[in-house]
Amino acid sequence: MDNKPSLSQYFGGNEVPPASQFFDEIGTSPTDMIQSVYLGDSDVRPQTTSTGLFPPNVSTAFIQNTMPQEMTFTNVLPTVSGSTAIPATSLPDPSTFFDTIGPEPQISSRKTSTISASVLSDAMDGLSIKNQPVDKEADRRRDAWIPNEDAKKTLLKAQSSPKGSFFPEREVLTMPGLVLEEELADALQEVAVKYLGVSSAGVHGVVRADHVSRDEAGLRELLRTGYLRSAVNLTATLISAAGQGAGRMHRPTKHTPRSLQLWLTRFAVMCRIKLYEPLMREAEPFGDFSKPDMFYQFYPESYENRTGSLVPFSLRLLIAELPMHVNKPEEAMDRLYAMLNVIEQMITNLKECRTEDGTATITAEDQVESLRLWTSRQTRVLHSIINCAIALKDYRLATKILSSLAESGSIQQRRALKSALCRVSLLAGNVRAATEQCSMAQDLRHNICPTPDVREYVDLGLIDIAHGKYQDAYNNFAKAADQEPTNIMVANNLSVCLLYMGRLKEAIAVLQKAIHSDPERGLSESLLINLCTLYELESSKTNEKKLNLLRMLCKHKSDTIPNVLECLKLA
Amino acid sequence: MDTKEVVEHLVALKVMRLTKPALISPKIVTCDFKDLPGNILNNFLKDDATSVVQLETVTAGQFLLLPQSFGNIYLGETFSCYICVHNETSQPVQSVSIKADLQTSSQRIPLTTQQNQSPIMLDVDETLSDVIHHEVKDLGTHILVCEVTYMSNYNTLSSFRKFFKFEVMKPLDVKTKFYNAESDDVFVEAQVQNITSGPIILEQVSLESSNQFTVKSLNEDNNGLSVFGEVTLLQPQESCQYLYCLTPKENITKDIKLIAAAKNIGKLDIVWRSNLGEKGRLQTSQLQRMTPDYGDIRVTYENLPSKIPVDEPFNFRCKVVNASDRTLDLILKLRTLQDCSLLWCGISNRKLGPLEPGNVTYVNLTAIPITSGLHNITGVSLVDLFLKRTYDYDDLASVYVY
Repeated sequence: MDNKPSLSQYFGGNEVPPASQFFDEIGTSPTDMIQSVYLGDSDVRPQTTSTGLFPPNVSTAFIQNTMPQEMTFTNVLPTVSGSTAIPATSLPDPSTFFDTIGPEPQISSRKTSTISASVLSDAMDGLSIKNQPVDKEADRRRDAWIPNEDAKKTLLKAQSSPKGSFFPEREVLTMPGLVLEEELADALQEVAVKYLGVSSAGVHGVVRADHVSRDEAGLRELLRTGYLRSAVNLTATLISAAGQGAGRMHRPTKHTPRSLQLWLTRFAVMCRIKLYEPLMREAEPFGDFSKPDMFYQFYPESYENRTGSLVPFSLRLLIAELPMHVNKPEEAMDRLYAMLNVIEQMITNLKECRTEDGTATITAEDQVESLRLWTSRQTRVLHSIINCAIALKDYRLATKILSSLAESGSIQQRRALKSALCRVSLLAGNVRAATEQCSMAQDLRHNICPTPDVREYVDLGLIDIAHGKYQDAYNNFAKAADQEPTNIMVANNLSVCLLYMGRLKEAIAVLQKAIHSDPERGLSESLLINLCTLYELESSKTNEKKLNLLRMLCKHKSDTIPNVLECLKLA
Repeated sequence: MDTKEVVEHLVALKVMRLTKPALISPKIVTCDFKDLPGNILNNFLKDDATSVVQLETVTAGQFLLLPQSFGNIYLGETFSCYICVHNETSQPVQSVSIKADLQTSSQRIPLTTQQNQSPIMLDVDETLSDVIHHEVKDLGTHILVCEVTYMSNYNTLSSFRKFFKFEVMKPLDVKTKFYNAESDDVFVEAQVQNITSGPIILEQVSLESSNQFTVKSLNEDNNGLSVFGEVTLLQPQESCQYLYCLTPKENITKDIKLIAAAKNIGKLDIVWRSNLGEKGRLQTSQLQRMTPDYGDIRVTYENLPSKIPVDEPFNFRCKVVNASDRTLDLILKLRTLQDCSLLWCGISNRKLGPLEPGNVTYVNLTAIPITSGLHNITGVSLVDLFLKRTYDYDDLASVYVY
């Protein structure tokens, strides 16, 4: 990782890390993150995090770990990087990230050049505030979930029992434990050692894993730098320390928001690197997170009047989607609809000026915020259902949901959805419908910009491909490439077209150029598969070319690709 | 697909079937940014070359992925493949050419290569390649035979062949049913079932009638919109039923013999598409109906009102056609059956004839309904005086009386 910004680079030089990064990493109201660590600390084993939230070395880690420059997200959350402090509540809720963040976040070369020092110090200050008042409404909103009838009974008992006299049955407890016990080795490193030899493989992840702090900050650093398998190993350490390690399955344990955040991190990463089998087994004890001990009301002594679920929404969603990845999309579909059902109930409650679970009344301002959060989460679940439908090739359902989503929202969103509808139609083979959707997207685009953009040219090119007109498709992709010469997807599509036009050599050249011009993004799983497919078609002597790609991977990427061997088609 | 290579050749031959590419999307894992991983995983997703800006969480990507397996091929689809010959040596190879044939169970089809018909020289690391297309018209085993010829180091022509075997499967199951109406129209029901392994879109289903009929499709409403809605998407094993009405052409309706002989209905022409527009087209063989057996005499009613007020007489016309080979002497009898709601007005035992073979005679009839309800027209009989046979016509039509 030569290009990893180092501490000296920032503080020695005059370049200041964009403040937006801090906000992105840490959250606009740092309290929440602090909180999650906090709670962990206060109730389980203080010794693991007893040094406080931000021991000096951790804040150093934050700075050290800021993303490489090209990954700034100034354009994504422009308001955040402004130099005036904006109250956190007026910002788009982070959870709505993918649903409502409108501006075209082209990962452009535009960088936040200078950020006033005050913003930076504000950000730093934000980190050090430990006793910031807790935003109870935001907590309630974020954690809200309606327990099912069985859980409600137990929770009522927990709440009404005199202090110390509530002893829950085993059946109501969630009892997770680690299944994947062995340390995961850095997959890229392993392949590199096998094919390139120890010397050229370079020093990789395992060493790095030893360098980070053994806590959440270290975990985030491993994630940020892409040492995903090391990150999974670290979650195992931290989860074991929280009493839910190997062999703890089916044994009573104490859940905290922190322990669930650790599980979320572990599962999310395992999902990314496709470790589905152990993931399924480790997730099994959680079921659908409906046991009463997954709710704050279960612990009246620790959380007083706090309500809602300890389970982060993203974890709930991740586990609901999980069967989709192991060829059981029907099961995932059932779980997602069950989630959707609860969310719809909460939205109904909110519309009646009550809290999400319907137990109390709320202020108008609170209601607006809550509705915004939960409708965006509803949309996110609908997106997952669409994905599930696409996995099932149920294009009717996917089209139906996408169409209903495309009826509202900003012009940008509606346009993006129409464009997605165009592609879902293509997947189904419905070229006529695809053309219609594409022209509707075009009409909406006219309201945004006068001339076609990359998305439109690419959609048009895809329609040409469906018609078997590869030359026309090539022309459309070429127009897209004129607008964004560094767009990896466009280059890839050009290359695919060239193959179908009988121009294999050029197809290879286009992909190689794309990889060399932007190795970070270019060395992506799918592009590597395409390139190696072309290599194999061209000649029977492909090994050296594939090894070159492996060398580039070692140089530019860390342990993020789940299956290096498959991508490179190395036998 | 590969076959063993015994001799080390100067050039290598590679073949790849070009089905439509796939649209691929990233693995979607997101977090709220107040979660422990913050936005890190979200950023991975946003940075992924396969994700779609602003719609990262939906797997309807724009990134094309080349086919990674041979896949299935169905009758009526086009088999396309990329053939590539590569110079594997460190010096030029002379006179390189490719020839491709497709061997089916019944024939050997030479595949036209678009370019490079004449042998060329391949420089170091150069390739000779071509894309071939062939519409598959046979079921069962096909073998793609590729032959590469080149000038060996000993200045003799050397060649080798590679074989690629694949099965062509049946994509659709078409079931037809025919209804011969009294009016001589023929209604055709065509049930098209998707028996491929994935969903398909029926882009066009049409009946091309034989020259004895004119066809009207009954699958669109008055505005020309499909009765199936916007999408005719068929999941595997699903079927869709189309209905057509065929009217015999005028020169045929005139002659009962020609109608009885008009067996050929026409052909169904079906165009479908699947993954990313992969197209297939099939035409059925000539559909044949069971022609109605008219016997010696064919009787039909014409100008019959469908709704009649009770106690009011109504008129209609009875058409009698001699479908036999001899001249008929007939008597028309009108009887009122027991419990019948229709009373006949007019003369019974009327003599019709003589009626030459193929000829038609019309009789006007009048009846009075005496109770309301739906009633069959009963009590009409014809007596063939030569054979002394009586034909009863009790269920030819019904009227609604109110």
